[in-house]
Amino acid sequence: MGSHDILNKIREGYGTSITRADIPADNRLLVFVRPDSVKSLANYLFRDLDARYCVGIGIDDRPYSGDFLVVHDFAFDKGNVLFSLIVPVPASNPRIPCISDAIPGANWSEREMRDLVGITAEGCPNPKRLVLPDGWPENLHPLRKDVSWNHVPEDFDDTKTYPFDDPPPGTTVVPFGPFHPTLDEPSHFRLYVEGEFVRGCEYRGFMVHRGIEKLADSVMTYNEIPMLAERICGICGCVHSVTYAQAIEQAAAIQPTPRAEFIRTIMLEIERLHSHALWVGLASHILGFDTLFMQSFRIREPIMWLAEKITGNRKTYALCLIGGVRWDITPDLGTEIRQVLDQLEKEWKGIFDAVKGDRNIMARSKGIGVADKTLVKDFSLLGPVARAAGVNIDVRRDHPYAAYDKVEFSVITQGGGDVWSRIVVRVLEVFESIKIIRQCLEKMPEGPIQAEPTAELPAGRIGTSSVEAPRGEAHHFAITGEGNRPRRWRVRAPTYQNLQGIPAMIKDQRLADMTISLGSIDPCFSCTDRMEIVDLQTGKVRIWNQEEVLRSTLKVKRRRS
Amino acid sequence: MKGLLTAFFSSLINLILVLLVAPLFDGLTRKVTAVVQSRKGPPVTQSYMDLMKLLIKEDIEVGESPVMQRFSALLSFAAILSVALLIPMGTSAPLSGYADSILLIYLLTLAGISILLAGLAAGSTYSLVGMSREMMGMMTLEPLMAIAIILSATHVGSLRLDAVFGGAVYGGSHFFWSSILILGVVTFALQAFVGRMPFDVTEAETEIMEGPLVEYSGPKLALFKFTRMAKMFLYTALFLALFVPRIATGYYVVDLIVFLAEQAVLVLLVTVIAATHARYRIDQVVRYYVILFILALLALLLAVVE
Amino acid sequence: MYLLSKIRETALSLRAGRVTLTYPVDPRPVPERFRGRPVFHPEKCVGCAGCANNCPAREILIADPCQEMRVVMYLGRRCSYCGRCADLCPEKAITMSHEYENASPKITDIRQNLEIWMGTCQRCGRCFKDAGPLDQLMMKGYRFDDLSAELWVYRSRAYLDRESVVKDIDIELE
Repeated sequence: MGSHDILNKIREGYGTSITRADIPADNRLLVFVRPDSVKSLANYLFRDLDARYCVGIGIDDRPYSGDFLVVHDFAFDKGNVLFSLIVPVPASNPRIPCISDAIPGANWSEREMRDLVGITAEGCPNPKRLVLPDGWPENLHPLRKDVSWNHVPEDFDDTKTYPFDDPPPGTTVVPFGPFHPTLDEPSHFRLYVEGEFVRGCEYRGFMVHRGIEKLADSVMTYNEIPMLAERICGICGCVHSVTYAQAIEQAAAIQPTPRAEFIRTIMLEIERLHSHALWVGLASHILGFDTLFMQSFRIREPIMWLAEKITGNRKTYALCLIGGVRWDITPDLGTEIRQVLDQLEKEWKGIFDAVKGDRNIMARSKGIGVADKTLVKDFSLLGPVARAAGVNIDVRRDHPYAAYDKVEFSVITQGGGDVWSRIVVRVLEVFESIKIIRQCLEKMPEGPIQAEPTAELPAGRIGTSSVEAPRGEAHHFAITGEGNRPRRWRVRAPTYQNLQGIPAMIKDQRLADMTISLGSIDPCFSCTDRMEIVDLQTGKVRIWNQEEVLRSTLKVKRRRS
Repeated sequence: MKGLLTAFFSSLINLILVLLVAPLFDGLTRKVTAVVQSRKGPPVTQSYMDLMKLLIKEDIEVGESPVMQRFSALLSFAAILSVALLIPMGTSAPLSGYADSILLIYLLTLAGISILLAGLAAGSTYSLVGMSREMMGMMTLEPLMAIAIILSATHVGSLRLDAVFGGAVYGGSHFFWSSILILGVVTFALQAFVGRMPFDVTEAETEIMEGPLVEYSGPKLALFKFTRMAKMFLYTALFLALFVPRIATGYYVVDLIVFLAEQAVLVLLVTVIAATHARYRIDQVVRYYVILFILALLALLLAVVE
Repeated sequence: MYLLSKIRETALSLRAGRVTLTYPVDPRPVPERFRGRPVFHPEKCVGCAGCANNCPAREILIADPCQEMRVVMYLGRRCSYCGRCADLCPEKAITMSHEYENASPKITDIRQNLEIWMGTCQRCGRCFKDAGPLDQLMMKGYRFDDLSAELWVYRSRAYLDRESVVKDIDIELE
């Protein structure tokens, strides 16, 4: 089903609601509709046409068209189409019917829209704040064009706290995070625990929100943003810089050079190798199996050295520019890559053989953190989490980008949907990545590595791009703009969707399995400094602000020994 | 009078042995774990340095009840050192004329209870969770050692320490099935007694932030850490005392060296198993202990019958 | 089989040997393309400010104290070691060295200050550069001011304010 077929199908039912439709490329479709038909059209796309929900974006387009824009991105995995449903919302009344009652995975997108741009989704089932801190003043929406990027609100209320739900009867609250040995970055899960079993949880995150999207549309320029994008994630930096470059290239109709596409593919797969090796180590560490943790990291180290040889840094490759890449792969480097891959394959086979029969690990991971196909569909869970549940989606095959249409590889799926299946999927994906890199090295054409744009990029064009990060699909949406920078850039990392599925995954599981369930989605989030006191006797919850924390540390009795 | 003096000096030697050698065994454990993990690891003397460093650190007291916290730290130290006086190391136990095996069982349990007190006194969510896990483990695990000692007492007909140890569990010339069974049970439980993987569900845990010890720092933490090291030393010593016949060459120093060498072998075995296993969850652990407990009871029954 | 997998895992580990490196006791060399601290060579710099214009972290600042002098200051606090400045420099005056042990208690240790004497056009007396005013308009990010006097005053993207533009540290402007 290409773009035209989908458009015709939609026209059958909703022809009168469509105000405009654009087909910028064979695999893209932009449909503009009026706000009143959003709900039913979104439902139709999600349920009847079986599209996957990607992200919802709020855009302040008032300086250009006078309205706000709400964009809901869907992906048709079987038809290789990325679909954007664009809804102009009048500036005087920024409201739009919510779609998260039909599409649960849209919940965070709608909350973020309201926090950052001020567009309210009417009827939203969970209208609490998502991104902004609790003390942030009410009507200040940072992503609006009239708010500057370095604005500090004077009426920030330090004493305001987050209105957590009441725990269900019979349960106690166990706060998980922000400080916890297993979490790399702070986030807060409020677990409702009955005995040893978790009955529910509430998540409060976004504690280290860095305002990257605001920086990109106010201060940075097109070629500077990849350096910013690769710092979005601590492991999959290359993914975000490639996705961003692809989104802008698609918007401005720039074709990167063939050699650059192959180099991007190689670096993306190298990143997947080191990310999966790291994850296997991390999961073992959470399970208490430190030996496997040390071994995975030892096996992974040559990949980091390889990346350093090619790009100059172990992780922040600074790889992409609009139109190409910055580092070339010389024949010597090619030989080196092959050697490292051979060694890696041998050692990784050893790990796989050792782990696949290990009942000790299986006892801790089978049947834990289960996400079945319905949960995957409802919350748009991505990547290994979805593939471990048997849902056969992979952006590299479904929406080919860079050089993925020129190489052959298989998509690994398992049936269990639990942590053990995710372990198996990630271990086997390493072998596929090695296969892809080898094919790329053979098929890579000679030529320049950058097609530098010689004219200024046209403004107001919409571009979307999806890339398979090690954790799932990373989806970027961009509108090109004036002043050599985009008007709006929206980054949707895969963990954004996967985290929404966590409360369902940990329900009715033991408290001890909370960490490995969380670790199995391979979370990549970031955070801050909040501390919550739960008084077990009275059941009261108090949140300390900065002064109270400071005072309490001074008050503590010190005993000189 | 002579008996008193011998007991006094023998006790001193035992105490010095525990204080000096337990951290050495811990260092050995860390070194072997590092080798299995393909790294260099800390020097063998690292545990001494860790304890010294903790002892001179500032003692910050946060928790529900600081008085109880101090008490539990001292209790664990005192209990474990008292146990050292009741276990033969190379020769017979120092206080064998003044105590019997019931006291030994009691003191071992006391050392375990001090951890429970520690968790309770700290009062934080995670320490309480850790404490409840420790309690579940203790209830099913501690009786195993008690049953082994009582089995030995049944064979020999006396509860005196020097009668119970020294291979009495094998009951002399007669062959007993119960002895083999209890040997098997305690061997499989040794890993759990010393609190290493896969059974360290209460201690150093990534899941509940160290469990009962989460609010302890400085000297109190040093005491608890030492208790853990000493437990490794003493449980292996107990195992040797119960099940491995003593080689009496007549020279105390030779006996001692042989004893320490046997202990080192056991420590090595425990470490290798610990390094190659993932941690089990508390319910799986308790299930495992319960099976062992039933087998131990069976062994005791057999011993009474045989 | 359970025991077999444990034995396999142990064999795997022992075969690898000990991989701990002796850094920092022994130095650790880095590969050729490694992007360490950028080093500015004043004798090659022509004061085009391309580096300042394209630094994603805005850590290269330009000040024109007078007609003939341009000060290029690399602050290096938030430098992301991306190497764009080195890529863009037309005179190859910036090289990404191999130094990565750059931690220091003093912020001025990493700062590099270049004072560039600019040549002046013999006819109009302004500092000259290759591109004409129209080309200037086309180049990314350059702005002009003082239209009334029709003076094309070159001002780079990031400029050093006398009133400290950075609030957290004191930059000695001398």
